[in-house]
Amino acid sequence: MPSANSWSIKNVQLLHVIPLVIATATIGFSSSAHAAGTTAGTTISNTATATYTDTGGNPRSTNSNQVDIKVDELLDVTVAKADPGPVPVTPGSTNQVLSFTVTNTGNGSEAFNLTPTTAIGGDQFDPTTTSIVIDTNNNGVYDPGVDTVYTAGSNDLTLAPDQSKRVFVLSTIPGGGNDLDRGDLDLLAAARTGTGPAGTIFAGQGQGGGDAVVGTTGADGVDRGAYVVQSATMTFVKSATVLDPFGGSRSVPGSIVTYTLVATISGTGTLTNLAIGDTVPANTTYQPGTILFQGSAMSDAADADAAQFASNAVTVQLGTVAGGQTRTVTFKVRIN
Amino acid sequence: MRALLFVIAMLVPGIALAANNVTLSSAVFLEKTVADSSGRARIILEAPTVVTPGDRLVFILNYRNAGSAPASNFIVTNPLPAAVAYLGSGDSAQVSIDGGRSWGTLPTLKIRETDGRWRSARPEDVTHLRWALKQTIAAGAQGKLSFRGVVR
Repeated sequence: MPSANSWSIKNVQLLHVIPLVIATATIGFSSSAHAAGTTAGTTISNTATATYTDTGGNPRSTNSNQVDIKVDELLDVTVAKADPGPVPVTPGSTNQVLSFTVTNTGNGSEAFNLTPTTAIGGDQFDPTTTSIVIDTNNNGVYDPGVDTVYTAGSNDLTLAPDQSKRVFVLSTIPGGGNDLDRGDLDLLAAARTGTGPAGTIFAGQGQGGGDAVVGTTGADGVDRGAYVVQSATMTFVKSATVLDPFGGSRSVPGSIVTYTLVATISGTGTLTNLAIGDTVPANTTYQPGTILFQGSAMSDAADADAAQFASNAVTVQLGTVAGGQTRTVTFKVRIN
Repeated sequence: MRALLFVIAMLVPGIALAANNVTLSSAVFLEKTVADSSGRARIILEAPTVVTPGDRLVFILNYRNAGSAPASNFIVTNPLPAAVAYLGSGDSAQVSIDGGRSWGTLPTLKIRETDGRWRSARPEDVTHLRWALKQTIAAGAQGKLSFRGVVR
């Protein structure tokens, strides 16, 4: 913005104004310059001085008028997801965190409105955003109760020129999803002053009293994060082999039946607190000390090992098992 | 006391009596590239109503010898505003990268990096511009000087 100067030339072609040859030069900024440039509200003042010698041989000098130009505010912002890839989640889980970095690439302090969008085509589910949290302590990690919840108007995301801030979007994942289902989420940051095509001017709304001008980013930025469901399912197969007292495989009194229980866990997730149990069939008698878990002998007592025989049933605690693994248990009974 | 004042008046070049009167005016324009009706890019200058970092500015200095006597050793000096990086000027301009202590053309000026090494000055290192006119400015004569810069 000019100061109260009387401008008489407007939209005049360059060659008419300057008959001098204007040398071309490459534009370069010194390394100390901010990426965002001169801070909005800075006044550029220009004054020239002429010195000369008069006819009496005396040195004389004269100053030009001073031209003051106020630097206006450029509204620019970028958003970049900060997770290395889709964030693994389990169906029905809450407060699942996506991370973004919001950077004020303009030259004035500016508040930015944050808007998540989850209704996006091409994915399998829509997460439900429950809150947006600003990384108040700047450690890059969501700290519940420490980082403050973003609330438009009362707890804004206000960034100085060149300043970046980590922002966390917390979502609830719908239940019932399948393994590897993906849910996308876009985070939009928009300058509070306004957005629009580059060059849009918000008169008088710039920092320092000048105008605010939309920059090349359109004064808003967006990036896409994603959740991916990691679930696991178990299939359970029970089989039996019979060895009769005569070396054959007939089921007769005295035959030994070996039961084999195979649990197969599939998917990219894990199953926790997994246990399998099998009641010894009627008209048979459990053969003590015959439990094998993954090929290793287990005691019948309720003790440190994973298996026990109690109440006429074999129980094995499998614990936490990741997808892609199997667990095998065998035990023997005798036909009465 | 009256005699003392008379002596001072003799020593100081009297403004009222001087035949020399050089005026200097400064103006700044915003340089914009626009497409004309046939789609060709044209550079226009306009009053800088909205100025943001990256904008190019054209500084124009008009001088005029409004007096009745010639002025010699005419030198115009323009300190570059800190928020402006120099882009270029008419080829008669000398530049300074040390606040006006030494002058030259860009290729002849060296600047010392923080690691102690010397490198050739770059346009953005320029702090001052100067035009030293060889010819005496005759009474009534006028001229124009200009340079370009970019808002840092």
